[in-house]
Amino acid sequence: MDINLLSAIKLVIALAAIILLLIGNSVVMVWLERKVAGYVQRRPGPYVVGPHGILQTVADAVKLQVKQITIPGSSDRVLFLLAPVLSMFPMFLMFLVIPFGPWLTGLEVNLGLLLILAFAGLESLAVISGGWASNNKYGLLGAARAVSQSVAYEIPLILAMLAIAFQNGSLNLTVITAGQAGWVWNWNIFSQPLAFLIFVITCFGETNRAPFDLPEGESELTGGYHTEYSGMGFALFFMAEYTSMLLVSFLAAVLFLGGSSGPVLDGVWWTFLKMGGFMTFMIWVRWTFPRVRFDQLLNINWKWLLPLGLLNLWITAIVIKVMQ
Amino acid sequence: MGGLLFASAVGVTPTPSFFQELAAMVLPTLGHQIMAYAAFGLYVLLIVGGGLAAALARTLVRALMGLVVTFLGVAGMYLLMASPFLAFMQLLIYIGAICVLIFFAIMLVRNTASGEEMHLPGLGQAAFAGLSAVGVLAVFGPVIVLNAGALMKDALPTETPLAELGEGLLNYYVMPFELISVILLVAMAGGAFLAYERRFKAQDEVTKP
Repeated sequence: MDINLLSAIKLVIALAAIILLLIGNSVVMVWLERKVAGYVQRRPGPYVVGPHGILQTVADAVKLQVKQITIPGSSDRVLFLLAPVLSMFPMFLMFLVIPFGPWLTGLEVNLGLLLILAFAGLESLAVISGGWASNNKYGLLGAARAVSQSVAYEIPLILAMLAIAFQNGSLNLTVITAGQAGWVWNWNIFSQPLAFLIFVITCFGETNRAPFDLPEGESELTGGYHTEYSGMGFALFFMAEYTSMLLVSFLAAVLFLGGSSGPVLDGVWWTFLKMGGFMTFMIWVRWTFPRVRFDQLLNINWKWLLPLGLLNLWITAIVIKVMQ
Repeated sequence: MGGLLFASAVGVTPTPSFFQELAAMVLPTLGHQIMAYAAFGLYVLLIVGGGLAAALARTLVRALMGLVVTFLGVAGMYLLMASPFLAFMQLLIYIGAICVLIFFAIMLVRNTASGEEMHLPGLGQAAFAGLSAVGVLAVFGPVIVLNAGALMKDALPTETPLAELGEGLLNYYVMPFELISVILLVAMAGGAFLAYERRFKAQDEVTKP
């Protein structure tokens, strides 16, 4: 492969833009989450800093940056400090392959979907090592929950994505988006409704969001895997959670909801609009549904999502074979 | 379409000749070689460093982190050899699944960050470990070195398309592929068998008067 200057410059610009996007996303999303939570619970939410409290997150970010980082005694210092960085770093890579528009991709890779799945594994590793290194029983319990949850929910998630990959005959996200161009009923959500349902449910499991937020479970584990983190360590874990929300929202838009194609006026804005809609949906679900119990969480996965995912994949394969 | 809209909105008219010139500015061959060797060196460093960290770590979790670093280096090697599919699979399966499962296994047995499970290996154990490491090297090293000439014929590795890889696995190499799954099945059956035996023993002890 030749390394030419244009692609190198493009890569640097894309990385810089992605970093800006992820930081901006965290700032806006934290505010939106608190605001939506407020309205769901019939109170105004943050209201003091800035108009309608919009600068509240900025103030929080400044507070988090100046806070002292406390390291618990007889913990594994290196792992403790490394875990938040490890949870945030692979995120930048994963956004490189997302096709925001037909021409707007940081790095065009034939195996884009696989790249995202590969680096997503590092996040669960970060959560576990952070929880273990804290030398705290709540942290350890959160970490243990995080492992069994992320390992279990990864399988139906991959099965749902695989059905889409089967249908389009490619792991390239740009090709998958291009296959849904044209009218609204070309979107994969209409040809793969079961895969979309499985994808949506596993998204909550993979991003550790309510109703599947057992690794944090603040009412049982006082914060779970990030109990001992303060200052920027906590902020990085927090950012990683909102960034993985952003990632699955973009994936939902690209894989199932037609990406940049819309009813009228195709373009990047549709990807962002669908992403925003899915994010709002995730927030809405968090403040509507109570947290499930751990055996319920695993039963949903192993007894329903996994067989349904396999069935869906099987039917997809048969239909493709018959259509050939 | 969106690009043109954006460009006209900003007031910039993209000049194709300028971009074509920029795209044509390819790094010279020497530059490629230097970068390839630098990448190779980095990955070797990751593999060796991770291996040493795994062998010399005081706690099991630190050793596991060494293993993760080694796997990262191996994935980089696959990338360097123009097989990104293998590289991503390495990350997905070894780091995302196997290392996480090992972590789970470590957490099931009681251990702390102070590293009290660390025992210095005895002389016999160290000798056996060294012997097994050198033995593997003694068998495969000469084979690799002797066959290096044949492998190096086309110096630049080419990427195999994914479809070709899948066809190979399900046509020509279907036998080894299935055999590997049999090994995994045996391992799973063994694990289930061990767990069941222990459970029945525990029940027997409970029911014994």
